[in-house]
Amino acid sequence: MSGVNLSGIVKSYGALQVVHGIDLEVTEKEFVVLVGPSGCGKSTTLRMIAGLEEITAGDLTIDDRRVNRVAPKDRDVAMVFQNYALYPHLNVADNMAFGLRIRKMPKDEIKKTIDDVAETLGLTEYLERRPADLSGGQRQRVAMGRAIVRHPKVFLFDEPLSNLDAKLRTQMRAEIKRLHNRLDVTSIYVTHDQVEAMTLADRIVVMNDGRIEQIGTPMELFNHPANIFVAGFLGLPPMNQLKGTLTKSGAMIGDTEIKVDGIDAQQIGRDVIVGIRPEHVTLTAGKGTSELPIELDLVEPLGSEALLHARHEGNELVFKAETHGDIAYLSGVKSVHITASLVKLFDGETGVALGARV
Amino acid sequence: MAEHNSTSEGRLIRLYDHFKREWQIYVLLLPMIIWFLVFLYKPMYGLQVAFKDYSIFSGVANSPWIGLEHFNTLFGSDQFMRAIRNTVIISIYSLCVGFPMPIILALMFNEITHHAFKRTAQTIVYLPHFISTVIIGGIVITAFSPTAGIVNLFLGWLGFEPIYFLIKPEWFRPIFIGSGIWQEAGFSSIVFLAAIAGVNPSLYESAVVDGASRWQMMWKITLPSILPTIIIMLIIRIGNLLEVGFELIIVLYQPATYETADVINTFIYRQGLQGAQYDLAAAAGLFNAVVAFVLVMTANTISRRYSRTSLW
Repeated sequence: MSGVNLSGIVKSYGALQVVHGIDLEVTEKEFVVLVGPSGCGKSTTLRMIAGLEEITAGDLTIDDRRVNRVAPKDRDVAMVFQNYALYPHLNVADNMAFGLRIRKMPKDEIKKTIDDVAETLGLTEYLERRPADLSGGQRQRVAMGRAIVRHPKVFLFDEPLSNLDAKLRTQMRAEIKRLHNRLDVTSIYVTHDQVEAMTLADRIVVMNDGRIEQIGTPMELFNHPANIFVAGFLGLPPMNQLKGTLTKSGAMIGDTEIKVDGIDAQQIGRDVIVGIRPEHVTLTAGKGTSELPIELDLVEPLGSEALLHARHEGNELVFKAETHGDIAYLSGVKSVHITASLVKLFDGETGVALGARV
Repeated sequence: MAEHNSTSEGRLIRLYDHFKREWQIYVLLLPMIIWFLVFLYKPMYGLQVAFKDYSIFSGVANSPWIGLEHFNTLFGSDQFMRAIRNTVIISIYSLCVGFPMPIILALMFNEITHHAFKRTAQTIVYLPHFISTVIIGGIVITAFSPTAGIVNLFLGWLGFEPIYFLIKPEWFRPIFIGSGIWQEAGFSSIVFLAAIAGVNPSLYESAVVDGASRWQMMWKITLPSILPTIIIMLIIRIGNLLEVGFELIIVLYQPATYETADVINTFIYRQGLQGAQYDLAAAAGLFNAVVAFVLVMTANTISRRYSRTSLW
């Protein structure tokens, strides 16, 4: 089974520990995305899997074989780098052939492999060009081609789309997804972009400060974030977070009570953070039950929807609303009605999701 | 016509605006321009003595023109022809042996992972650059001395008779080129080390994942990546091909070794300063400069055409 298993993986640079004992099982053919803010240890983890960084402690197995001390070339992994890492003095064909030549593959076989992969990636007409003569998207494709020709057991992607512009990124994201569906090779993908994580992953691993915060499918993480960090990291715009106290039927936020389903009677009076997704509200013009009064600050039209920047007792909030082709009506919004079943509650001190709702 | 005037007027106004806006930059440039004018362009006025029967009493302007007579004398002189031959031979030898040395050194330094060892080794090879040429000459003379020199001492241990290296014409070139490498190879390697430092580290990482050995990475990544720097340095070197470091030659050579040691610059020095034949020396110098100019232009053009790298 071409799975990758990380068990208690630790990385330290001298006295500074940057990855604190990671456990992760990536099953065969799975597409796992490591996501987190800059400096959370996701790239370091990927580089440990590739063999570019030494593992300080813990076990790394690929295909049930412990590879902690195995040279990168013998791990049978291929990596796509953020800045493409294309050899500027070689043309596209030679760039893709580099690893194969080093492995002493026969010439005719190299040519056939490269032709096949170039066709898959739409690079056939660029084979003679040098990287400097290619666009960003084409370079990215060459970088992927170089990984694909090796037929590795595991693909490792280190923020491969972060150097592309937004439009190209969307396009390449879809190409990567299609490619994975076709090749069916275990893939581990690092990004700080939650949209990439949500769209590409079979499972997402959210990392923060060298630790795993939560592992799950994109929808599991979105619907049931384990803590306030995951809740705030996934979703665009991020979840609104308001301090409150639990009551019998909901939570008091300042002077306003909003309804929340499934409150445990024993938890009444507990300090919580109330998480409200920007899209889980209905705009209203007056004060009713479970309605949060807001002062509208700014409306950002996005076309079919608009983002409403608002304030409630000093807290900055963002909500999403349908425009129906017109944003004029949004200026009259005075409060938002919050859907009781969709509110998330987190412990006021630890930020961990309240058990009843996970 | 009116249109032409207005265009040139517009250009003048633009130039004026440009100077008004950027004058500080030109002020910064000024010392260098003055230096060039005073030390490089003004002396060119004196070049005319190459075509004159120069007398220090008449001065540059009043000495009579004699056309190419000095050049005829030079090319008819065995000594000058020998100097040209020696210059070319020494230059080509130093280019072939001396030019790759700093590159090899830089590649070797790049492979050293032990920091303290690397720093020590670098200091040791940089050091001779900071020693004056006369001292270097003194060290070489002492090292090759037939009585007390370390080289002959070593040969003596092996049972050989002492060799009088510095008076044997056949030994002059190897000793001169070897000491030149010893003095400059280390320091010249800095520019290549800097070029190596500029190679994108992820190229190596990608190669490591692909399974390349350090040797393969050196050949397939490092060397091709620093090739533009190598070519630029080679063009500069070719431009200076005839500028053999004559200070060291003057320190090391003697009439017994003129046969292989006398180069154009030492010839100019002897004729011009010791023999007071300023006009003949100027002609030799001018010849040297013209050849150097042609060489650097040719090297640059060839490089631009074939490797897309050039000085200008």
